[in-house]
Amino acid sequence: MLAGLALAWAGLASVAVAQGSLPQIKQRGELIFATDPTYPPFEYMEKAQMIGFDVDIGNEIAKDLGLKAKWIGLEWAGVLGSLESGKCDLAMAGITITAERKGKGYVFSRPYLLSGQEIVRRKGDTRINGPKDLVNKIVAVQQETTGQFAVAKLGVPKDHMLRFDQVQDGLMDVRNKRSDATVGDLPTLKAILQKGFPELELVGEPFVKETLGIVAWKNNPELVGLVNRSLNQMMVDGRYAVAYKKWFGEPLTAKIVGELENRKSDGSPVPDVPIAAMKELPQPKVTGSSFSFRWEVAGAAIPQLIKGAELTLALTLLSLLIGTPTGLIFALMRISPVKPLNWIATVYVEIVRGTPLLMQIYVIYFVLPAVGVELSSFVAGVLALSLNAAAYISEIFRAGIESIDSGQMEAARSLGMDYRVAMVNVILPQTVRRVLPPLTNEAVALLKDSSLVSVVALAELMRMGKEIATNGGSPTTVYLTVAVFYLAMTLPLTWLVRRLEAKWQPISRPRDGARRLKRVAA
Amino acid sequence: MSALLSIKNLYKSFGRNEVLKGIDLEVAEGEVVALIGASGSGKSTLLRCVNRLEIPTSGEVEFRGEPITAANANAVRREIGMVFQRFNLFPHITAIENISLAPIKVLGTSANEAKAQATALLEQVKLGAKADAYPGELSGGQQQRVAIARALGLKPKVMLFDEPTSALDPELVGEVLEVMRDLAKSGMTMIVATHEMGFAREVANRVIFLDSGRILEEGPPEQVLGSPKQERTREFLARVLNK
Repeated sequence: MLAGLALAWAGLASVAVAQGSLPQIKQRGELIFATDPTYPPFEYMEKAQMIGFDVDIGNEIAKDLGLKAKWIGLEWAGVLGSLESGKCDLAMAGITITAERKGKGYVFSRPYLLSGQEIVRRKGDTRINGPKDLVNKIVAVQQETTGQFAVAKLGVPKDHMLRFDQVQDGLMDVRNKRSDATVGDLPTLKAILQKGFPELELVGEPFVKETLGIVAWKNNPELVGLVNRSLNQMMVDGRYAVAYKKWFGEPLTAKIVGELENRKSDGSPVPDVPIAAMKELPQPKVTGSSFSFRWEVAGAAIPQLIKGAELTLALTLLSLLIGTPTGLIFALMRISPVKPLNWIATVYVEIVRGTPLLMQIYVIYFVLPAVGVELSSFVAGVLALSLNAAAYISEIFRAGIESIDSGQMEAARSLGMDYRVAMVNVILPQTVRRVLPPLTNEAVALLKDSSLVSVVALAELMRMGKEIATNGGSPTTVYLTVAVFYLAMTLPLTWLVRRLEAKWQPISRPRDGARRLKRVAA
Repeated sequence: MSALLSIKNLYKSFGRNEVLKGIDLEVAEGEVVALIGASGSGKSTLLRCVNRLEIPTSGEVEFRGEPITAANANAVRREIGMVFQRFNLFPHITAIENISLAPIKVLGTSANEAKAQATALLEQVKLGAKADAYPGELSGGQQQRVAIARALGLKPKVMLFDEPTSALDPELVGEVLEVMRDLAKSGMTMIVATHEMGFAREVANRVIFLDSGRILEEGPPEQVLGSPKQERTREFLARVLNK
């Protein structure tokens, strides 16, 4: 089955492949950029339109090459990986040029912007005046960014670093006083603080200087050569200066241009391709998929994935342990003749079922602190998953209880049992046997849904996979390995439940009927 | 001697459908009363009102001269056993556990004692060998006999039977009636809703004919079944006996 999965995956990849060789781009007529549009002023959404500095520069590059620019918005974790899988030709997301990324097969253009890592604190929090003060504090970062790397380099221990999907989540966490500070790209932090977060402020100058580049996968150095030509052209003819003024609110100075020129060698060495070359390209021949499972990447990922799987299991088991009895209580309230109990349970179930789990996690983690309830990531994650599971489980129990023949309750009552004794000894034991299959479904769903709590900085299995994939491993290989991990947890669970069901089979008549049916069919 | 059970001017409606229209009935200790009548005449509803599985719309049921209310229903039910048409055994526990569950949970009998009593009751209904069988493994007749033993487990003063043989295959009816006959002989007070006229004639002290929620005719079996006064009774008996 896994082999089939891999085949299907490879098949998909070959259809969607935008393998960045120049002839193919030329034939397509489109230059595909991947980005994370939650990153002002580089790229963000406004009135359903993706805008920003990167978007303006990227559009100009495409124009220079005689192509149309196409932008795909992804989560940051997926941006670099999409290059290798061929979903895009270039990645442009305020990406810092680092030797580490180059080593993993990414090819960088010449620097197109100066940046740096900047600290944000709560206004007037004088405990934090510079990078040294971060060492014994809780620091929020955007996962797998140079911000995270810079903080790690300062010597902040891993468990003091809260890793989020978005810059904004980190800022919220500082505002909510769970984190003491956050570190990120100066231009982005500046742009976000201009519009919101009046409780926060920047701390001094950037403590790490960086340059940003446009990224391609290693099979595509010629494309980067063309990009460099276009960037050089823009710096000279003034188009760059216009975009700079528009998005950073200050004029481009000769000092900045000089500094960018000085650091030109930050970019990867690539062949210098004249722009005219693009236009003279012949029609391409179609090439196939380049998918292969990289065992060494999978092997290296396993220790980290095991850690993630442990957290996933802990989250799931705890949430089931809390959610199941809570769900049972809500189910009993829902069928209770006492009206107010009934109403409370109904409202609860409808609200939880009617809103996305992701939103519930956000509310519990980011909104509750505003009313004075402080929860750690783990507690918030378990709480959100438990409360969510409880709503679904209560419906499973309710349906199960209602499916028990009314004669059972009557027989129990006619024997002098009160409602509670009848419920506990007669109705619920039968209900449990009957709801076991849908309850298993819920447990499996919960295990998979637990990946959503990664938004509150919990490094569970899916997040670990994303991190490894973002980090430059082969995303296809990493995600297939993650899939195997999930199966390794869900399959034993379903097997166990099937065993239990088989054990209980002779007891209830409907199952007996099912067994007879099977025998007839055989 | 005052009646063990007396039903006074009992009415019961389900929505706008009036099922019982003023029932008066007294049952003395040791008496066996057969309730006969067409389907829908109110036999089941009457029995279910007696142990308050249905709450009467008006009128009263008195047990030993005390009205049965919401407050004392659980206590009174211990003394009124009930056997259902569809057995309603608890499918998740064995025959012997079906019988001992209520004594343990309701009377607080020790598990050992309850088990000993249940074993004796299973012997009484001739199912001593089936103690550890689950209901799903028993025939309909066997299940109904376990259900009778279960109702006897609380040592009730009255037994209500709601068409106990109607859901059984014809060849299984006899074994259940035999158990009921023995029970009647032992002096148990019984009210039996039934279509088994032979059983009514042989075992009952009194036969009551219900028609559209009213008692139309009552008396000794030979009178009601042998020479009924009412035209409706004659019609009903003709239909049942010619089947």
